[in-house]
Amino acid sequence: MSATSLSTYARLQKRTYEILDGSVADRSSRVCEIFIALLVVANVVSIILESVHSLHEAFEYEFHIFDTFSVVVFSIEYVLRVWSYGAKYTHAAQEKGSAWKGRKEYLFSVFGLVDFFSTVPFYLQLLFPGADLRVLRMFRLLRIFKLSRYNSAMEDMFEAIKSERDSFSSALFLLLISCLLFSSLIYIIEGHDQPEVFRSIPAAMHWFILTIIAGWGNVDPVTYLGTVLVVVTQILAIALAAILTGVVATAYTAQVQRRESLYEMEVREVLADGVVTEEEQLKLKALQAKFGMSNEQVEAIALQVQAEKAAKDAS
Amino acid sequence: MEVLDGSPNHAVSRYVEWLITVVVLFNCSAVILDSIPEVHADYKDFFHELEFWSVMFFTLEYVLRVWSLGAKFSKEEGGAWRGRRGYMFSPFGLIDFFATMPFYMHVFFPSLDLRILRVLRLLRILKLSKYNTALQDLFAAVHSERRAFGSAAFLLLIVTIVSASLMHFAEGHEQPEAFGSIPHAIYWSIVTITSGYGNVEPVTKAGEVIALLTGFLGVCMAAIMTGIVASAFSNQMSRKKAAFQSQLRKVFEDGVVSDAEKDSLKRLQSQYRLSDAQVQAMMDEMNPNKKD
Repeated sequence: MSATSLSTYARLQKRTYEILDGSVADRSSRVCEIFIALLVVANVVSIILESVHSLHEAFEYEFHIFDTFSVVVFSIEYVLRVWSYGAKYTHAAQEKGSAWKGRKEYLFSVFGLVDFFSTVPFYLQLLFPGADLRVLRMFRLLRIFKLSRYNSAMEDMFEAIKSERDSFSSALFLLLISCLLFSSLIYIIEGHDQPEVFRSIPAAMHWFILTIIAGWGNVDPVTYLGTVLVVVTQILAIALAAILTGVVATAYTAQVQRRESLYEMEVREVLADGVVTEEEQLKLKALQAKFGMSNEQVEAIALQVQAEKAAKDAS
Repeated sequence: MEVLDGSPNHAVSRYVEWLITVVVLFNCSAVILDSIPEVHADYKDFFHELEFWSVMFFTLEYVLRVWSLGAKFSKEEGGAWRGRRGYMFSPFGLIDFFATMPFYMHVFFPSLDLRILRVLRLLRILKLSKYNTALQDLFAAVHSERRAFGSAAFLLLIVTIVSASLMHFAEGHEQPEAFGSIPHAIYWSIVTITSGYGNVEPVTKAGEVIALLTGFLGVCMAAIMTGIVASAFSNQMSRKKAAFQSQLRKVFEDGVVSDAEKDSLKRLQSQYRLSDAQVQAMMDEMNPNKKD
């Protein structure tokens, strides 16, 4: 579809989408991004400060004004997002209902839900003034997750962890099994001697998790068998921490290597015909920025590919 | 300049390095011992002497460095002051300056707080980092993964704020002295994340669950941080290997290995701190490729 055939409405919609989505990195989308991020940070700070009693009493009016202002801004943002995400799939704009595909996608995405639930409680409060304030404040805290939209490194982290989810789930499985086993054992062994701590298996589970996390579970064992069990649990805690660390390390290394080989493939493709056009150069630059690779890394890869190519030509 | 900078490995520059290291170590032990009142009373004069002579020594070193680094760049590259400026505003230059200067400050303004001056004297230990290339490797590795570190720190921030707020909502009424406000609760959640145990025990069921989850997330955060460092190191190592390999390939290209090329490879090897076995393995890998 050419730009001229778009109506003003559709053009405006598309432009809003581009600004809010940040897919086109121009100035206005950056400004919008920074503004929202700053507002979110200010919101979180104000929630924290508001909980201090003396500050709350001294500046109640200012806090209220600020909260109203941010709710208005976030509501406008939400409405604009829902409206403009209709332009996400423009190529199918002729079909009826295609605008709602992008909208539905946004509405039920994690970010869409976060945007919704971090803003709506304010209106609930207006409708039902008697609602519990603490619950409302908890929802307001959700605003902090709006920030993660702008943090691409965070996505990398989740991606890396997701690619190793088998190892993670096996580590968690190990934790679960040992939790069941050890807390039942300690309940059987020490339940009679220390009924106030190990009065039930769930209570023993609480002890187990504390031991795993902190290395000491709040109680000292009184029987010999119990002592042995505690020591084994503590060693297990160290092993578990090591396993988790190792899995994360592998996940990260694998991700970096995956990216390097992806980039290498791209370089090979670019060099295959012997000429590097401006377009190809831009593409490589964009890929480098996306993968967060340093210049020296890129240079090393380019050198290697060139050397391989030279060796191939010679033979 | 070459003696002080240590770029070509001469015997003289090696000696100078050793001498400076020994003096720095001696100085730091003196500062630490000096803080014990009994020792201070007994050996006051000795410490004074030592301080005076080491300041003289470091001043001489600093002046020599500033003077000699004028030779780093030739006239065309910006003249004598470019090298000097580069040194004076580098971290090492600033350390050298601030580790020595307090003594003179003390001479000119005798009323200054002695404790601050002593702390500044401890800066001298940082002079040693100049001779520790592994430390520089560490910084380079961390620097190359700074995005990952940034996101881990962001995650840590979110975990702290969210757990503190939840704890405030759950226990604020029951234990107002510990969770009365979110800033108070933030202290609790940082303690819980780092050590697994908060300074205050939760009394409600919801608080207990939040405390356990926070502690568990603390373990996960430690794992993520450690994992990033480990992966940064191993990636840096493989990058170095790749760079060395491409250098090797260049050397083998014309079929002859001249003495100059051998020298440059040796220097690269020591710079990247690769072991002889690793280099040998790389060469073996390279040679059969060359034959066919």
